[in-house]
Amino acid sequence: MSGTTQGLGRLRAASAGNGVLGVLIVLLVGLTLGMGQLEPLFRALFPDLGNPLYSRDSFLNLMLAHIGLVLMSSLISVTIGVAAGLFVTRPVGREFEPMVSSLAAIGQTFPPAAVLAIAVPLAGFGFAPTIIALSLYGLLPVIQNTIAGLGTVPHTTLEAARGNGMSRWQILRRVELPLAMRVIIAGIRVSVIINIGTATIGSTVGAKSLGTPLIAGLVGNNLAYVIQGALLVGLLAIVTDLLFERLERRYSFGS
Amino acid sequence: MTLARSADSRLVGNRVLLTLLIAAVASSVLLPFASLSPNRLSSGQPMMLWQALPEWQLTALALIGLALLAATLARPLPRRTSLWLSLIATLSLLGLDFFALGEYAHRALVDASPAARVSQGATFWILLFVSALIAIDALQRLRLGLVKRALFGAAVLAVIGACFSGDLLSPLSIMREFANQKANFVDQLIRHLMLVAGALIPALAIGLPLGLLVNRRDGLRNGLFSMLNVFQTLPSIAVFGLLIAPLSALGRAVPWLGDLGVSGIGVAPAIIALVLYSLLPIVRNTYSGLAGVSAGTLEAARGMGMTPRQILWQVEIPLALPVILSGLRIVTVQAIGLVVVAALIGAGGFGAFIFQGLGQYAIDLVLLGAIPTIVLAVIADFALQILVTLSRPPGTR
Amino acid sequence: MIELQGLTKTYAGKNVVDDVSLTLDTGEFGVLIGPSGCGKSTTLKMINRLVPLSGGRIILNGDDVTELPAEQLRRRIGYAIQSTGLFPHWSVAQNIATVPQLLKWPKSRIDDRVDELMAMFHLDPTEFRHKYPHQLSGGQAQRVGVARALAADPEVLLMDEPFGAVDPLTREVLQAEMRRVHRQTGKTIVFVTHDMDEALQLATRIALLNGGKLVQYDRPIELMVKPDNDFVREFIGQADLGLKLLSRRWVHQYQREPSFEHHATLKGLDHCWQLDDAGRPIALEGARLDDDHQVTEVKPEWTATPEMSMKEALSRMVWYRVMVLPVVDDAGKLIAEIGMQGIMGIEAESGLSAGNPAS
Repeated sequence: MSGTTQGLGRLRAASAGNGVLGVLIVLLVGLTLGMGQLEPLFRALFPDLGNPLYSRDSFLNLMLAHIGLVLMSSLISVTIGVAAGLFVTRPVGREFEPMVSSLAAIGQTFPPAAVLAIAVPLAGFGFAPTIIALSLYGLLPVIQNTIAGLGTVPHTTLEAARGNGMSRWQILRRVELPLAMRVIIAGIRVSVIINIGTATIGSTVGAKSLGTPLIAGLVGNNLAYVIQGALLVGLLAIVTDLLFERLERRYSFGS
Repeated sequence: MTLARSADSRLVGNRVLLTLLIAAVASSVLLPFASLSPNRLSSGQPMMLWQALPEWQLTALALIGLALLAATLARPLPRRTSLWLSLIATLSLLGLDFFALGEYAHRALVDASPAARVSQGATFWILLFVSALIAIDALQRLRLGLVKRALFGAAVLAVIGACFSGDLLSPLSIMREFANQKANFVDQLIRHLMLVAGALIPALAIGLPLGLLVNRRDGLRNGLFSMLNVFQTLPSIAVFGLLIAPLSALGRAVPWLGDLGVSGIGVAPAIIALVLYSLLPIVRNTYSGLAGVSAGTLEAARGMGMTPRQILWQVEIPLALPVILSGLRIVTVQAIGLVVVAALIGAGGFGAFIFQGLGQYAIDLVLLGAIPTIVLAVIADFALQILVTLSRPPGTR
Repeated sequence: MIELQGLTKTYAGKNVVDDVSLTLDTGEFGVLIGPSGCGKSTTLKMINRLVPLSGGRIILNGDDVTELPAEQLRRRIGYAIQSTGLFPHWSVAQNIATVPQLLKWPKSRIDDRVDELMAMFHLDPTEFRHKYPHQLSGGQAQRVGVARALAADPEVLLMDEPFGAVDPLTREVLQAEMRRVHRQTGKTIVFVTHDMDEALQLATRIALLNGGKLVQYDRPIELMVKPDNDFVREFIGQADLGLKLLSRRWVHQYQREPSFEHHATLKGLDHCWQLDDAGRPIALEGARLDDDHQVTEVKPEWTATPEMSMKEALSRMVWYRVMVLPVVDDAGKLIAEIGMQGIMGIEAESGLSAGNPAS
């Protein structure tokens, strides 16, 4: 799935201007803080519902909890994923590269929802299984793209760096990482976007997130809750994706 | 010269295997192999490997461990012998892992109450996982041909099949859950597969021509791709949720659609969302597969006097097929996973077990949904990978 | 016969091919040459209408090409480009059979034709029939490309820089083969290149284009000795003119009976050949500048073939320090010899006038 983001980043650059992102961010913040102001609208749309606005928790709290879940698991994924990717591309760890690569490839065929469900028997209900599942699942695209990104650095460039007397550490920091950064960020982008979605389902195993009103609405047959949760989480995903796209573009060196 | 000597004096020949072996031993020492609980819903009492297994099985496990240890060493065994040894050892480990668990369950439940349950523990899973990784590593290093790999795969399936065929595993909690749900399980399996097929067929019917169109008309490409890409980033549950309101309105407003089953919840929103999710990989891969046919090949085809139709069917499609099928592979695996979530809007499938189990705190029911979904996804991925390989021009496989 | 009459191609208001008229008789080997962007490829592609004409006419054996359906026209014209043009998903045999298949030839006739062409290009059918393009070397792929272009016995063969992607050594071999195939089949060929040496090797007519205009259209020798203007002179290059002329001469034009006994009268050229039972030369006695009586073992590196250019033959004489080269046939049998004084003698008699009746 990393191909999606890599291949289309540039295509989309033309169409998604600053304006769109700005409007979406304003919308996201506005809806998070001011969903309550829309109560008359929801009441008009769903006259049958006694309580058309989710009020068991504030949307700000839910949004922060959701972002917290994603941020924390992504931090773990990125730290471990990049480290693992670096390890298997150095001479010391090269032996592990085929194994790690195929593990990352096979692991990504596992449905995220199933991984989340399997984390429950291991870690119980609540925050912990969600973080575990999100971190584990998010790890895979990061590892894969770190390996791929470092692999795209041309041989001749590395040779030139060595020829100019750079140390291994200098080559990694000043040549390899900057050149691989765009692909690595694309991996992080895939990982974060999947995690935003999976965190939504996290509410079924008891983690608080924007999925909480959504699932509550589905279970309690309250369409207004569903729409409120879905709108916010959808906006969060799109805004995050667009932000990552700009980050990626900063690291494309004419390629 | 120094290089050759350092290779000769190296003690460990396969550090990957050694790492996996250490992980297996550590988990065997630290984590429970199984758990025994008084009933279906309460959490159990952990049983360590040495508590659960009789002596002869522990001895066998130790022998397998020693064989694997020997296979990690650079000497005295030749490299390929070591790899074959690790393959055989890992196959035995797989069989023993299953057998020991089933046999323990039989023994533990002899004089327990009928409600008592035996579940697999972390060590069981880790040993299973480690066996798989050892096999993958050895197969990669041996660089076996397709036939030999398939034979090994068949051996693995035979071992697993043998474990499941008798009533060796039937006292296990999850197998009892399975026995209870058997009819339902088959229904949900069929439903899961029908949902996947029901999404993929329209997605292919729309996506393939769209990919061709985008290949022929550059102007459409950016707009369509960015639209589909935005859609891909949306969390599936949000899309399912957002489709409920308009679809239920549609179902009410157009009675014959309602009669066909179009309503806010259930199959209709699930299929619509799945089709939309599937479009991007199909369109993108169709496009890039066709775009990947070299200009020289196309020019030669035209220069030879092929008609546009002949060029499409005899040159472009055969050459683009591996990429198109890779798209189908992505989409199939993705759809199998998304159908799980669709259970939340009442579409059914294995997700129904998962969410029902989560609701009832019934872990076995959760696993009864989650494990088959994963197996299904891995099988689909593998089968389509073979198809992709077969679709490559002969000689380039 | 191909006639281009006032051929013009306009892209975005600019004439990339501007009023080009020339006639290439049946059996000629015409080369379109010029700097990049001169319109040579565009001109070629207008002949089989891969590029539509903006103005002018192309007459192919009496038919106006724009009046024929494009696909039918193309099946009458062979087309070979750089090796990328092979269909990667088809075997060598399938690739060669492309046009016969489009023309719905019966299977047995296609098979025979494929075998015939593979033999013509020295590709052993048992070895190569079922190979795929990616399994071929650059030179082999290029031979298949040309064989495919010739498969349906086209009236004309168009070649667009076909040897552009192969290494110099292979290119020379392919050029020699192309000359042989041209001689064997008598096909009318239009060939695009930017390499003057290649043009001189192959062409019976050269059309030099610049900025879309035809600068000079002539026999190669005349282009060299009677350039119309400074551009032509510059494009051919003043250096090595003598060697360039030799590159237009072939060993078979100058070879003579081999000598089997010593002639003490010829200083430095007194020599004789020793043969093995199969008639292959194994050693040369004499004919060395440094030592008249030395016996030199014959090596493949300094034997000549009838198709070899005199430039190459001269080069071998100089490099291996021998005054004569054995000329061998495909089986390696000695059929003639070629000597240093042959080269000099011909130039003295001046082969230039042959192609230049006006002087």
